[in-house]
Amino acid sequence: MQVSAATQKNPISRLWIALKKDPLFSIVLIFMLIFVFLAIILPLLSMIGASISEKGLPLFVSYLSSPVYQTIILNTLVMGALVGLVGTIVGFLFAFVQVKLNVPFKRFMHIIALIPVISPPFAVATATIVLFGRNGSISRGIFGVRYDIYGLDGLTLVMSLSFFTIAYLNLAGMMRALDPALDEAATNLGASKWRIFRTVTLPMLVPGLASSFLLLFVEAVADLGNPLVLGGNYEVLATRIYVTVIGLYDTTGAAVLSFILLVPSLTVFLVQRYWVGRASVVSVTGKPSGTPQTIDHPLVRWPLFAIVMGMCLLIVLIYGTIIHGAFVQVPGVRYDFTLDHFDFVINGIGAQAMRDTTFLSVIATPVAGLFGMIIAYLVVRKTFRGRNLLDFGTMLGIAVPGTIIGIGYVLTFNSPMTLNLPFLGEITVLPQIAGGRAFLGGALAIVIVYVVRSMPAALRTGTAALSQIDPSIEEASISLGADNAMTFRRITLPLIRPAFLAGLIYAFARSMTTISAVVFLTTPNTKIMTQQILNEVENGRYGNAFAYCVILIAIVMVAIGVMYLAIGSTTGAERNLRGGGL
Amino acid sequence: MRRTKILVLVVAAALLLAASVPLLAQDSLTVLCTPQEDWCVAMTQAFQEETGISTNYVRLSSGESLARIRASQDNPEFSVWWGGPADAFIAGAEEGLLDVYMSENAEDIPEAYKDVDGSWTGVYVGALGFCSNLEILEELGVEAPTSWEALLAPELQGFVAMAHPATSGTAFTAFWTIVTLKADEFEAAEEGTGYDEEGAPTEAAVDAAFEYFAALNQNILQYTRSGSAPGTMAGQGEIAVAVIFSHDCVKLQEEGFEGILVNTFPEEGTGYEIGGMGIIKNGPEPEAARLWYDWALTAAAQEIGATVNSLQLPTNPDAAVSDLSVNLADVNTVEYNFSAAGTSRTAIVERFDAEIATAPTQ
Repeated sequence: MQVSAATQKNPISRLWIALKKDPLFSIVLIFMLIFVFLAIILPLLSMIGASISEKGLPLFVSYLSSPVYQTIILNTLVMGALVGLVGTIVGFLFAFVQVKLNVPFKRFMHIIALIPVISPPFAVATATIVLFGRNGSISRGIFGVRYDIYGLDGLTLVMSLSFFTIAYLNLAGMMRALDPALDEAATNLGASKWRIFRTVTLPMLVPGLASSFLLLFVEAVADLGNPLVLGGNYEVLATRIYVTVIGLYDTTGAAVLSFILLVPSLTVFLVQRYWVGRASVVSVTGKPSGTPQTIDHPLVRWPLFAIVMGMCLLIVLIYGTIIHGAFVQVPGVRYDFTLDHFDFVINGIGAQAMRDTTFLSVIATPVAGLFGMIIAYLVVRKTFRGRNLLDFGTMLGIAVPGTIIGIGYVLTFNSPMTLNLPFLGEITVLPQIAGGRAFLGGALAIVIVYVVRSMPAALRTGTAALSQIDPSIEEASISLGADNAMTFRRITLPLIRPAFLAGLIYAFARSMTTISAVVFLTTPNTKIMTQQILNEVENGRYGNAFAYCVILIAIVMVAIGVMYLAIGSTTGAERNLRGGGL
Repeated sequence: MRRTKILVLVVAAALLLAASVPLLAQDSLTVLCTPQEDWCVAMTQAFQEETGISTNYVRLSSGESLARIRASQDNPEFSVWWGGPADAFIAGAEEGLLDVYMSENAEDIPEAYKDVDGSWTGVYVGALGFCSNLEILEELGVEAPTSWEALLAPELQGFVAMAHPATSGTAFTAFWTIVTLKADEFEAAEEGTGYDEEGAPTEAAVDAAFEYFAALNQNILQYTRSGSAPGTMAGQGEIAVAVIFSHDCVKLQEEGFEGILVNTFPEEGTGYEIGGMGIIKNGPEPEAARLWYDWALTAAAQEIGATVNSLQLPTNPDAAVSDLSVNLADVNTVEYNFSAAGTSRTAIVERFDAEIATAPTQ
């Protein structure tokens, strides 16, 4: 003990040495560590602290032993598993048709599969009610069935359609990376296509299928928007947390429920990331040797084509309903053309919401993109203690359900953070940044949440891009006399530009469309579009909600256009755009 | 090339910055608004035009409003709370969340519609009713309900909706109406069993109301957050009957659902709301809040509702009443004890949330 104490200097002096050796690196690193701690870890700790407090602990017992809450927990898990399963199947079908089949309209299918990324919450659920609800224009109008869409079936449909993009991108990337030589070898050995699919392709995709399933599970149990609209009497933890805060303002009860929700989400996330994610048998080191074989058997090709095309048309129909609904008097009931909904949104309260949301997203986007790239750079290129912790801490921003982040912020930042120092007395370290009358009208907390939620995607795309770039290029820059900052700016950043762009696009789309994390943080001075959409949907004014959705989608598309123009190069950007960014 | 790209970014950022007004305004008022969104917009815009005070609002249902005021009482975000059943205002006043304000204009308001001590004043009144979709009723083979009992018909299973009393004042009004009816029933059977010495319904009456709602739960499709939302669900044909305020039903009829929705009342008696208004204690803009309070009681301000089809009856006797408004005198209303309702509110909504709303249905 004494020996090690003598040889190991105290942390402060070690820090000082590091600072002198590479000041910029150390300062950036310390800043990032502090940011991740304050913006992600601390709110989580507050939530956990509140749930295991004296007031919280008895609630655990009463919640976990009550049959009502047991049902809610079971509902959540069943829904997560079903959405994981169905979403993965849909994603697999899209990916398979895209990569393995020689059929027309593949570009169209690809674009359709990406649409859900920029879709506002509630849009799909609401359109589904109009189309397939009890009085839906299709279920009732065409088939004459009064179908009860509320509950598990409706939720599975809507969530699978909203989240399958994650599985699709994941699996399509994997299928492309499969070495065609294996297929060829199997063919030469006399295997049929079906046998190859069964014994070669599918086993290699198992990790991809498993990780898609788990990612979709996490997304589904975290989702708030869809269960609020379509849940009916099928209650899940996310909606329960919402009612506990909004209806009863019982933050302790909400923290306890959050803790209960955190357990499955985090477990599944960890399993995905550190076990399934690692177990990949696909070699991605080199380029595939040759072009993937396509499957031409008409009995395989056309039925699959028809299924995927059918799903594409369903998605087109849903988004068509949204756009159409924005222009008719009462969507699903009265179809007289009107611009009233746009008038209500643009000249009413919507104008402020549009300005605020766009403005805050515009601030958060570059910050999230840059922070993500910097952390990726630190994690891939530098060695320091706590490297994995920094990576993991950043990833928590997306692994933790949004409602939980929201509760954490309410508990942590709704009052100024003060330190009681000797002699100086109480000093304010951090002003109140969330809630009404907060610093900047609570806008800062919302921007930070946007950053926290989008940073992981930028980090992942950045890490992937960086690992493919030979460090010797950067070393050459250093040996030619450039410093670290110059090298990062002039060499690394341009090389990872597609990843950076993908990170930015994702950050902007995510910020504009997020609801669960900010729903508790909006204040009288800061209005958020998704919250306004929720109000309209909850009051059944679907026309107004659709008008909001149309405007929101338009803003996101214009912003993506601007980013393409400004940052350029689309090469590989879409491919790296992983929904959820995990 | 590089320059153009940077330029594009800078111009885009500048445009956005120019478009966004500062997030904080100076001479301002923040209203906590409980009625429907478009009425909130019309009221705040009219007030802003009249006084020049930049007026902002947040719409929350009445239970949410009460919870939010309670949660931020050390540093309130709102200055004045306008609209929503008075029960929530009474509960708030009892917890010391509201300031007493004796507005001169409150003298015009009938005594039944205000708190004599000045912690709240009524700005509108309206009766509770059933808002039903004619086509769906026909399909289910039931008549538009004219009694609370009729809501329990097995044909209506999954075809009734109401809001959650924890968040919505409408739903709480419905609950308290049943409490009152049960208390009347008990009182008729044996004196002293329905009401206690102070005229408040007894615990037995409350228990009986819980029994009623437990039975009704089997027919409820969804407890919405906002009181008026079930009306639109009925209009869309998602449900057959919505338990909402009659003026919200009339509003829907005026806005695209005429000939689809029908408004009926329970013959045993229905509850009604007095839309309250109160000043939030330690609110950030006390003077602007008083100006709003005085203004909202004037006949002119109370006539704004009708312009956006919010057809509640004004409390100011000088305000014009729309032909479309439902007159309270034409409806059989119960003796609604607002102060007892306000006092019991918190305990009831917590019990409702635990026992009824989360209970599974078949």
